[in-house]
Amino acid sequence: MMTETNSKNITENRKVFHTPLADIYSTEEIYSVKLEVPGVTKENLNVVIEDDELKISAESSIEESEKDLKYAEFSIKNFSRTFRVGNDVDRSKIDAKLDNGILTLILHKSEEVKPKKIAINQVN
Amino acid sequence: MYTYNMFNDMIKLRTLFDDFFDTKPGYEASREFPPVQIHEGDDRIIIHALVPGIKTENIDIQLVDDNLVISGEKKDDYENHPYIRKERLFGEFKKTIRLPYRVKHDEIKADLANGVLTINLSKSEDAKPKKIEIN
Repeated sequence: MMTETNSKNITENRKVFHTPLADIYSTEEIYSVKLEVPGVTKENLNVVIEDDELKISAESSIEESEKDLKYAEFSIKNFSRTFRVGNDVDRSKIDAKLDNGILTLILHKSEEVKPKKIAINQVN
Repeated sequence: MYTYNMFNDMIKLRTLFDDFFDTKPGYEASREFPPVQIHEGDDRIIIHALVPGIKTENIDIQLVDDNLVISGEKKDDYENHPYIRKERLFGEFKKTIRLPYRVKHDEIKADLANGVLTINLSKSEDAKPKKIEIN
């Protein structure tokens, strides 16, 4: 009995985070990061880039009502995931788009690392 | 001021074990897609299903007897570029949920918002208890 109530209190106080699944690809110009964040709205989503870390955190907007809950294969959790980013990413140019539970981040590569065509001078 | 309480340490250990067995990565991968949550009231049922990135035209909901069948296809959105990471899963899915009682066929409401499908069902009149008059 005692442990039941105790463990319940502990669970309530603990914040549980869920790691969203991600797909990442890169081109010569950008890195594209796609994350699955079902139940998240624009208002409770946070994308922060600091030093060499890109942190995505979000709160689910599904109302958690323990009342009447009969069966659950997922629990309402908040999302959090951090990626390391290198110096090749332009910190000031990150685009974010949220569409139907999918967050797409476009990280632009900085000018220095983009491929550059070198003109060859004809010398006779 | 701190008083040592032996039980605190025991509970801590218990939490450690509970975490090991209970903590799951968001939703259970072993379950059929999509993961659902079922809220069951006296005369209505609310089902939440996580379907991120799936459009309404690719989800099909059917009521077969007292089973609710959610099927569809999660189409991949891969671009023609080299991928560094591929974690998301795609493909066709079908899931059958047995409802606890008969529901009104014409009062089923399904909404899709932010990658969450919400299905509202209400109890059928003939499934409700009926008082029988004794003559």
